[in-house]
Amino acid sequence: MAEALVVRNLSKRFGGLRAVQDLSFSVNERETVALIGPNGAGKTTSFNLITGYHRPDAGSVFAFGRELVGLRPHDICAHGLARTFQVARPFGKMTVLANVMTGAFLRDKKPEIARARARETIDFVGLSAKQHTPAGDLTTIDQRRLEMARALATQPRLLLLDEVMAGLNPAEIDQAVALVARLSQRGLTIVIVEHVMRAIMAVARHIVVLDHGQKIAEGQPQEVVANEEVIRAYLGTGYVHAATPGEARC
Amino acid sequence: MIRFGVSPWIGILAGGVVAMLASLPIGAVCFRLRGPYFAIATIATAQVLMLLFLKFRDFAWGAEGTTLPNLGNSPLMMQFDAKAAYYYIALAMLAIGLAITYWIERSWIGYYLVAVGEDEDAAEAIGVNTLRVKRHIYLISAFLTAMAGTFYVQYIYFIDPNTAFSFNVSVEAALVSIVGGIGTLWGPVLGTVLLEATSALLQSWLGGSHGGVQLTVYGLILVAVILWRPTGLLGVLAEAYGRVVRAGPARIREAPLDG
Repeated sequence: MAEALVVRNLSKRFGGLRAVQDLSFSVNERETVALIGPNGAGKTTSFNLITGYHRPDAGSVFAFGRELVGLRPHDICAHGLARTFQVARPFGKMTVLANVMTGAFLRDKKPEIARARARETIDFVGLSAKQHTPAGDLTTIDQRRLEMARALATQPRLLLLDEVMAGLNPAEIDQAVALVARLSQRGLTIVIVEHVMRAIMAVARHIVVLDHGQKIAEGQPQEVVANEEVIRAYLGTGYVHAATPGEARC
Repeated sequence: MIRFGVSPWIGILAGGVVAMLASLPIGAVCFRLRGPYFAIATIATAQVLMLLFLKFRDFAWGAEGTTLPNLGNSPLMMQFDAKAAYYYIALAMLAIGLAITYWIERSWIGYYLVAVGEDEDAAEAIGVNTLRVKRHIYLISAFLTAMAGTFYVQYIYFIDPNTAFSFNVSVEAALVSIVGGIGTLWGPVLGTVLLEATSALLQSWLGGSHGGVQLTVYGLILVAVILWRPTGLLGVLAEAYGRVVRAGPARIREAPLDG
């Protein structure tokens, strides 16, 4: 399988803090990879380094045949990598439809085409009923849906999801898991940062575990959750993974 | 133009192009700043240029300025006996400005502009080249502003650094938009009509008796709008419209941009 994303020896310091140290991992095309770890482990920083919001001190990010280090975020998006933000950042004064159209304009500048594409995407994430609502008035889960729709409207090949499930209730998490699974079935490559373990177990085929900016483990979900260092650093000694309905879908 | 006898009709376009070129380096520096700091920096630039033109008299005319030769009625040189002619030119220019704005608002550029105004990082994430969008809109507004400036000089037959780089005009241009409604097509038009009328009326009522009173009242109106209705008068109208039409607690906030 071809590699969609190859991160090699990525490092970033903020003053005395080593946010990311010598991080390497790769993601195959059409694969869903999860980045997990305690708060402050460097997950979001890694996303920011990959998508051009921070410039790494060292290392390289190679995606779909191109080096991304040094490119600006909009170039990286145009190259096919779209991201969502941990705290949803809708354009509050625009309606849901206008938000998503703004993303769709990347691939086609004609308003009718962008509008049609935006409607399709809004429908896919299940926001059709609220397409004329100002984005600032949406609930948390709907803002997350919008964030995903806006990213998807840019027609990415690789989607980076930063904690799209934080703050959702169990029923909403199931919906979000189903959505990610459907995206994966469509052939999208996904990198997901998440704390909700049952969601991770349901969608990820490969897990990378970070702690203090370093990779401490990686592998298939079942072996990672059994890894002693992972349990010590992140999951806690009481962790036993129970199968969830979400997993059956995968 | 005065020296070489070039028609202002050509000059108005040339001025626009020169302004676009001049806006490039100014924009490159000022775009590092965001929000109010950007506005302050651009106004400061005008002040700096004014001082430069005052100082280096050989280059332009220094503080005395210069008068345009009066040619009587000469439509080719944009000089007319009838005042109405100037009115129609101004009206045509307003129509051009509105048409361009309307076209921008409906196109992808309009969406990109609102997105950049709301959250530059989020806009970048979905492929918006925020720097380029800002540069483009800066070029367009430089061109339109320069056209208006050329016309103004043609109307008053006089130019000096104080009028060319007037602090008042810089501030007024921003104020009418703020009062009328930022990011709307008709907001600045509404703001201009109301503010200019208010200013003229206040001046005739109060200006004679107590110097500065009319400016104080004018200032209070501005503060009131900014404090209580930051969406501008158009925002107020949209809200009222929403209340009447939907008859209930429905609200339209800042007339959200819809597809």
